[in-house]
Amino acid sequence: MSLNTAHFGAGTFNKRLVARKHRRGGGKKNLMASLSLTSMVDMFSLLVIFLLQTFSTSPELLAITKGVELPTARTGLEIKDAPVLSITQELIYLDQKEIGKTADLMKNPEPLMDKLAELRKQWVQSHPGEAFKGEINLQAHRDLPGTWISQIMGMLPSQHYGSISLAVVGGSSGG
Amino acid sequence: MGVSMPTGGGGGRKKSLDAELNLVPFIDLLSMCICFLLITAVWIEVGSMQVKQSHGTEGAAQAKSDLELDVKMTGPGAVQIAVKKGGKSIRSITVKESAPDQFVSKLDTQLKQVTGMGPVTAAMVSPAKGTSYGDLVQIMDVLRRNKISNLGVVPVRDAT
Repeated sequence: MSLNTAHFGAGTFNKRLVARKHRRGGGKKNLMASLSLTSMVDMFSLLVIFLLQTFSTSPELLAITKGVELPTARTGLEIKDAPVLSITQELIYLDQKEIGKTADLMKNPEPLMDKLAELRKQWVQSHPGEAFKGEINLQAHRDLPGTWISQIMGMLPSQHYGSISLAVVGGSSGG
Repeated sequence: MGVSMPTGGGGGRKKSLDAELNLVPFIDLLSMCICFLLITAVWIEVGSMQVKQSHGTEGAAQAKSDLELDVKMTGPGAVQIAVKKGGKSIRSITVKESAPDQFVSKLDTQLKQVTGMGPVTAAMVSPAKGTSYGDLVQIMDVLRRNKISNLGVVPVRDAT
């Protein structure tokens, strides 16, 4: 496909403008429309101020797993850098790696316990001379039975994960 | 944008003292700022709620004068709270409301009364069949709002 530059070129456009001016006859009219920039600059400044106020410098430590709708809470604290155990209605993930089906693991939690033990061993090997803190982030779908989550939370201390942080949607400034 | 001042004396042509500020680089800078901030903005604020699960016999030593709470969820929007002192139950409270907002405010009122009796060091929450994880977090949130931060969850086996 080719374009005829005689119809679209800048020179043609100028010629047409001049021709139109002649047709109207006489007086010189300014063809440049002036744009009022003051309101635009005001709007931009306000946007920048708002975005700077809501800007967070802390990195996002917790990626929400697909299929997880977190419960809401007003007293959320800051997220800690720790392994993430995600429980959806169908599957359970440890650090974004699929462990198995939720219903199956609730009946037989051995594969999950093995993976948790493995993760702890890796941490101990990579941090020689440091005591294992036992921190873990737990993100679970809010509609899951509370008894299921309580069972998993009851199992975690057996693998020395005693400090559990439940991921919630809410302010991270509360005490 | 500019400032105009009367010219003092000096015949001849009057020179304009209005200074034009070039807004183009200013707008460029602002646009870049907006783009950067919009890309790096975090719209969903994710927080965490700390729970300490004790293993076996390990547990924090409590002063005998401190209060402990046993919060049993009996269903959605229903809890039974046992206030304990030195391991003995001294008061029992039942909160039941079908509307979630009313349940939260009623539970909050009851907990304020309990915390008025003395310092509450710990609370153990046990879910029941038919209650969701969201309900469990909601109750723990109300407990935390009443300065009860040492929370634990009792593992409850679902019969189904």
